[in-house]
Amino acid sequence: MTTHTIKARGMVRGRVQGEALVCRKAFSFLGDVDMDSGAIIAHGHEHEGESIAGKVMIYPETKGSSGGCVVLTTLARQNRQPAAIILEKPADTNMVEGAILAGVALLCQPQRPLIDAVPSGTLVTVDGSAGEISWKD
Amino acid sequence: MNLTDEEKRMLAGERGEVIAKAMDYLVQFGDAFDAQRFADVIYAHYPAEMSIYRGSCEEVIEYAQTGATVCIPTTSSTLACDLDRWNDYGCPAPIFALQMQAVEAHRAMGILGTYTCTPQLIGFIPPRGANIISVESSAIIYFNSVLGARTNRGGLFTRYAAVTGKYPLMGYLLDEHRRGTHLFRLRLGPDDLIHDSDHSALGFHIGAIVGSEVPVIDGLPAGATQDQLIALGAALATSGSVTLFHAPPHTAEADSVEAAFAGSKPKEIRTVTRAEIDAAYDALTTIDAGAGIDFITLGCPHYTLAQLRFVADWLKRRGAKVHENVRFWVCTNRMTRQAAAWEGIVRIIEDAGGLVIADTCPVECHMRTSTCREYGLPTPQVRAMVTDSCKMARYVGDLIGCRTALRPREACLEAAVSGRLESASHTCDE
Repeated sequence: MTTHTIKARGMVRGRVQGEALVCRKAFSFLGDVDMDSGAIIAHGHEHEGESIAGKVMIYPETKGSSGGCVVLTTLARQNRQPAAIILEKPADTNMVEGAILAGVALLCQPQRPLIDAVPSGTLVTVDGSAGEISWKD
Repeated sequence: MNLTDEEKRMLAGERGEVIAKAMDYLVQFGDAFDAQRFADVIYAHYPAEMSIYRGSCEEVIEYAQTGATVCIPTTSSTLACDLDRWNDYGCPAPIFALQMQAVEAHRAMGILGTYTCTPQLIGFIPPRGANIISVESSAIIYFNSVLGARTNRGGLFTRYAAVTGKYPLMGYLLDEHRRGTHLFRLRLGPDDLIHDSDHSALGFHIGAIVGSEVPVIDGLPAGATQDQLIALGAALATSGSVTLFHAPPHTAEADSVEAAFAGSKPKEIRTVTRAEIDAAYDALTTIDAGAGIDFITLGCPHYTLAQLRFVADWLKRRGAKVHENVRFWVCTNRMTRQAAAWEGIVRIIEDAGGLVIADTCPVECHMRTSTCREYGLPTPQVRAMVTDSCKMARYVGDLIGCRTALRPREACLEAAVSGRLESASHTCDE
């Protein structure tokens, strides 16, 4: 078993561990996820029906309305927020605001693409302050 | 971030738990974007919590109970209903009641109850170079571009900036992000850019090309008005997420194209003709010519007193009545509505069968289909809306799901009276 550790831009602090939930397409908190349960409700989404609660979400970028950060904080009030979010592209200010308020570690722009390297379900350790992501395979 | 002694004390709790928490959020925020220090902000335009977003009003009611108050002049953006006239247009009572509780919370926090997307029309005109924080893309772009004040696209942290008077010095607060990136040379005839909706269409065309960069528009005709610049900016921030544009010499920071680029080279240079403006009208027009229409919206962004006067004069001159199948809304802010009432303008519009709406607009109120689903309301029977604003046309299509047409103000008024979209033409000879 090999341990991989790569650097990313650490945006919001937090050292957490969780199962990877890898999405190939841009993700919208407004509309793609149920505000109460944390389940993905977007029709035809590759993880439709799965919960994002406690997961390390890995996806290319956040899309959709700035109202999305309200969804993230609403999820956090019910303890259904993801453990961490890793974006392949740069994070915008709205996403960072939502992650700070929700207490979700946020990293972006990993030094190499993760979407094909980390299968969903892999246990991933994330450090938002150090800007570090590690997993074993 | 490097903090001053005062900022360190605020973070350490010298001014209480509320300020300490707000500073902690703002420091994390600044660190995320490598801000070196805080800017002192002199004004905030706040995202009023709306009762169409679940949990939003409850959250601010809870926050206000901490005793938090704003320390700089703070206006508030639009609500989910007209606080005075909600019962005149079918707003469900629970949406009003919950909204009113949030309004009480805003009041307790010292936030001014302006409830508009155009705070610049009611006296909030920060000077060139002032650091501020604002929500509402059409206000943000006006503050940055026309006035030369400096703001990023505010979000939830507008609250913490308003409570502390601090915002990380980053993004559009810095000179290096305010330079032009793309050059648009207008090649237009004397009749090509007359109506506010022409300016809106021009902005819609350019915004789609530049995305989140800084366009420089060369050749905007002399005599460009406040109404035209509001329309242009709102549309730039609709098809793109443009936060700042330069249209020398009409905008604050650059008297010439050279000054707008400040030594950098344009990434792209394009020419704009009437064909591109027509294409924007076409893109936002999905109603067939001659088809019946059932909604007219003017006032996106919220209309000025002069625009309201125009509408009233037009209706009065013709003794016109709004067609029985048509809901005709003219949206403005509550201060302007009061002035318009004093002028007799509101009476003329409403006697003709229209409604002068304040605090909200069709896409911010209960008519959103997602809100109807959530509250178990019947979905609004809006099939075809005519408007003079690209922003309204674009969002109403998504949020209410109706067909749209973009037309100059006079053509919108013609449609209000006839109940149909008269022709496919965008121009109006009247």
